[in-house]
Formats: sequence, structure tokens, C-alpha cells
Amino acid sequence: MSGGIGAHGLATRAARRDGRALLATWSEQHIKWLLVAPAIVLILAITVYPLGYSVWVAFVNFDFLIPGHAFVGLGNFAAVLGDPVALHSVVVTAIFTVADVGIEFVLGLALALALEKTFRGRGVLMAIFVVPLFIAPVIVGQFWSLLLQRPFGPMDYILSVILRHPVTISWLTEFPWDFIGIILADVWQWTSFILVILLAGLAGIASELHEAAAIDGAGGWQNFRFITLPQLVPMILLAVTFRLLGAVNLFDTIFMMTGGGPGTSTYTTAYYLYQTGFQQFHLSQATAGSWLFLILVSVAIFLLVRRLLKVEEA
Amino acid sequence: MTRKRGLLFRWRRFGIGRSVLLGLFLLFVLFPFYWVAVTSIKPSSDYLAMPPVWFPAHPTIVHYVAALFAYRGLAGLLNSLIVAVATTVASVALGTCMGYSMVRFGTGGRDLAFWVLSQRFLPPIAVVLPIFLLYRSFGLYDTRFGLVLIYTVMTLPLSVWMMYAYFRQVPRALEEAALVDGCGWWGAFWRIAVPLAVPAIIAAAAFAFIGVWTEFFFALNLTSRHAFTLPTVFRSFLSFQGAQYGESSALAVISLVPSIVLGMLVQKHLVRGLTLGAVRG
Repeated sequence: MSGGIGAHGLATRAARRDGRALLATWSEQHIKWLLVAPAIVLILAITVYPLGYSVWVAFVNFDFLIPGHAFVGLGNFAAVLGDPVALHSVVVTAIFTVADVGIEFVLGLALALALEKTFRGRGVLMAIFVVPLFIAPVIVGQFWSLLLQRPFGPMDYILSVILRHPVTISWLTEFPWDFIGIILADVWQWTSFILVILLAGLAGIASELHEAAAIDGAGGWQNFRFITLPQLVPMILLAVTFRLLGAVNLFDTIFMMTGGGPGTSTYTTAYYLYQTGFQQFHLSQATAGSWLFLILVSVAIFLLVRRLLKVEEA
Repeated sequence: MTRKRGLLFRWRRFGIGRSVLLGLFLLFVLFPFYWVAVTSIKPSSDYLAMPPVWFPAHPTIVHYVAALFAYRGLAGLLNSLIVAVATTVASVALGTCMGYSMVRFGTGGRDLAFWVLSQRFLPPIAVVLPIFLLYRSFGLYDTRFGLVLIYTVMTLPLSVWMMYAYFRQVPRALEEAALVDGCGWWGAFWRIAVPLAVPAIIAAAAFAFIGVWTEFFFALNLTSRHAFTLPTVFRSFLSFQGAQYGESSALAVISLVPSIVLGMLVQKHLVRGLTLGAVRG
């Protein structure tokens, strides 16, 4: 553009007008890249650059307790893999993930089938069922500690009344009840996620298929087994993969309900890495661990994203 | 005759099972809301009553006052609002531009789409440490601006995807008419495509807002005394010295309001919003 050096005002203005016209043409020609550039730059700066930087962190000493950044090779990775708490946290994460997603899937499918046909009040029910999806997981954790915490929470009292004998479970500090409590919170929040997706999937199954099956004399179960289920498989895979990728990051409810305790028994991988990095300040060990974690889940990410793209292009 | 009765019987059995399932799940979903709402107005003396006090004889608002002022809930609320609004604007603006370019000009093709989408699934723990180090060296740690940056990236995939899906349905002919009128592509984008996309923009904005409003992990690790958001205030209730049941419940109720209102608003777009458009709801 014109630098405004010209002594003559008119010339400057003309030059500026030329510059502006030039800029307009240039921006018109490159609109496609100008529109995506800000977003790309931001993603590069906020996730790609730090991830690249963290590769370096993973291979050097970067610890608030030990000065200097000496190259340590695979030492950080060895430190993570040799840490029994890290391995324990992987097992805990696997248990939570399988239990959470398994229960949510069975319950979500049952609810979707129950809600498939329209009836009075169905809209209201759905509107209520989806509310947990919009709540902060940390608040869900707060909800359930208020319900389960002894002696304040009403859970033991309710169970006592139902079972007709006194129940004194320390939900947040006693194995396996702490696991069950955390699973309850996750199921409470995310079952409707599966429900919503499967309900959309059910709506997409052509009713002619069911009618044809009924004419052929198929009963309710046969109809479900041979028509509904096969048609629903893509939606089921989608919903389950989404939830798996959410469940492996389990952190907020753990943070609120057990704080990883008692001891380290409810450490999930995310919670372990958080503790190692942000509470004990072994930054490079935690970074090495988060790279291993990222590599573990990236297969699932890759498969899911590829599938999402395929659907959108269809 | 017998066959008819069998059918009727089966239908009734199915109906009963269905009602029980839906009824129990409804109870399961609603009970925590009820308990938290009641706790938030319960006088402290009712906390440990046995059997539990299902509705307090003397409701009180002291917990709300304490949560907002003594526990800095109000500061967290304001930070959350500022960060959520700024993020929503940034995310939707960037998402609209990018989605449009990807649809109209096929920019970046499959690779760009893949790359943007996969950002959505990056585990937060995998990126938070390097971001923490980056923020510390650039003075972004514990600033609202820093939070807005990471939240914009976090919500961008969904914004891009919702706008992408929407622009695909807008006929090209409308913009071509504008081009003939001498508007240029920028004019076609700004004066034709964007106004048409307002419904999608609103839906994308609601999802972005909810995403930020409910985020805890980044806020926990990237803020401390200044830019802390509402969800991080719940940390203060974790100490085992006192039992701040009422205060934490009051703050939870306050935080629920925007979630529920926006949740109702996006009901129609729920499936697309939850699945990045993989299922057409």
C-alpha cells in the first residue's frame, strides 16, 4: 500500500486508491484461503505448535523439581511405563470405559425402543431426558456426591427403605461402591446421548421393512433381531465410538467425587497425568505419558473421523 | 379368538414393561435435580436430619448469597459469561468463514476436513501440558484471553461442521445472481450467504456457548486467581473441613440455568450437534 511519503496530497490519495483496488482484487482472488486462514492459524498456534513443542519436552528433563533441560532419551517414557500407578490407571480407565459405555448402550437402546412409537407426552419425556447432556460434568460429579456422600446423602436411606434393613455404604470411599458411584454419575449424564442417536437411527428405518416382516409372520423379537438391529448397526457403532472417546477422558466426576482416592484406587489415566504434571510437577514424565495416551486413542479417533467424513460426503 | 387374546396380552405386557422402564428412568433423571434444588434452600440445621428433610419448613437463600460472594461464585460467573460470549462469537465467525469456503470453493478438500474434525477428539490431557507451558511463556496463563483462544479451537470443529452442512443446502444460484450484480465473492458471502445462514449460526452459537459453559479441565489447569470460571469454583467445596452442601447446591442451580435454557433452544439440532452431523436428525 501507499506509504504516505508523497508530499503531494492528491498523489498520495490516488496511490492509496490504487492500492485499495489492488488489495480488493487480490482478496477477491484469494477469498477461499482468506476465509480459512484465521481458523487454520489459530489451530496451528494453539494445538499443533504446543504438540510439536511437547515432543521436545517428552525427551528432555522438564521438571519443576529438577533444574535444567538435559536430554534424557526415552527416560521419561520409561518412567511412566515403570510407574505402577500409571498402569493401574490404564486398567481403571478401561474398567470405567467398558462399564460406562456398556450400561449406557443397553439402557439407551432399551429407551430408544420404548420411545420409538409416538405417544402422548413423548416430547416432554425427551426434553427432560436430554437435560443432563447440557450440564457441566463437574456439576454432575457435585450432584452425585451430594446424593451419595455420607452422612448427608439420601442414597443409603432410600436403599434402607426399599430393602427394609439398614444400609450403611460409604459410596465415595469404599471399594467397589466408589466405582459404582462414579459409573452411576456417568450413566446419568450420557445414556441420553446414545438414546438420541439411536432414536434418530430408528426413525430412519423404512417402515415398509417392518410391514413386510409382519406379513411374513415375524414376531416382535424376530422383527427386532432381523430388521431393526442390522439396520441400526451403523448408528450403534457411531454412538458407541463417540462415547468411548468421551469416556477414556474421564476426569471431572473423579475430581469431584473421589479425588482419585482412596489412595490412588480411582485414578483414571487423565487423572494420573494431571496429578503427575500439575500436582507433582513432573512435566516431562506427564508429557511422555500423554503422548502414549494420545497414540493409544488415535486409532479410534482416526476410524471415527473417517466415518464421519464418509457420511457427510454421501 | 385365542390368538387375538394372545396378541392383546403380549401388547399389554410390552406396554407395562415400557411404562416401567420410562418411569424409572424419569425418576433417575429427575431425582438429582430435586435433591440439589432442595439442598440449595435448606437451612444448615436440616442437613443431617434422619429421615432426610424432603422439603424444608423454612426455606432460605443464605446459601445463594454465600456461594456468590463468600465463595467468589459471582466472579466465576462473570468470567464464565465473558469467556463464553467471546468464544462463541469467535468460534462462529471463524466457523462460518471456513465452512463457507470449504463448501463453495472446496478449499483443502478431504484432508482439511479430516484435520479440522480430528481436533474435536484430541484428548484434553494430551494437549493441556504443552499449552500450559506455552501460556506461561507468553503471559496467557490465568487470562480470559488465553481461555478464549483454547476454547475457540475446542469448539471450532463443531461450528465449522454445522456451517458446512448448512451451506451445502444453500443453492449456488443465489450467490451467482449477486456475482452478476457485481457484488464479488465477498459481497455474495457477506450479503447473501451469511444472512441466509442465520438459523444455523444461532444453533452453532448455542452449542459453542454450552461447550464453554460446561468446560472444567482447561479452566482448572490454565487459570488460578483471576480468570477462573464458574465450574472451577466447585473446587472450593472439596475441602473436608466444612460441609458446604447448601452453597455448592446453590452454585450448581445457578450454573444450570443457562445450560437448560440453551439446551431447550437447540433441541431441534440436537442430533447434528451431538454427532457433528453424522446423523441427520
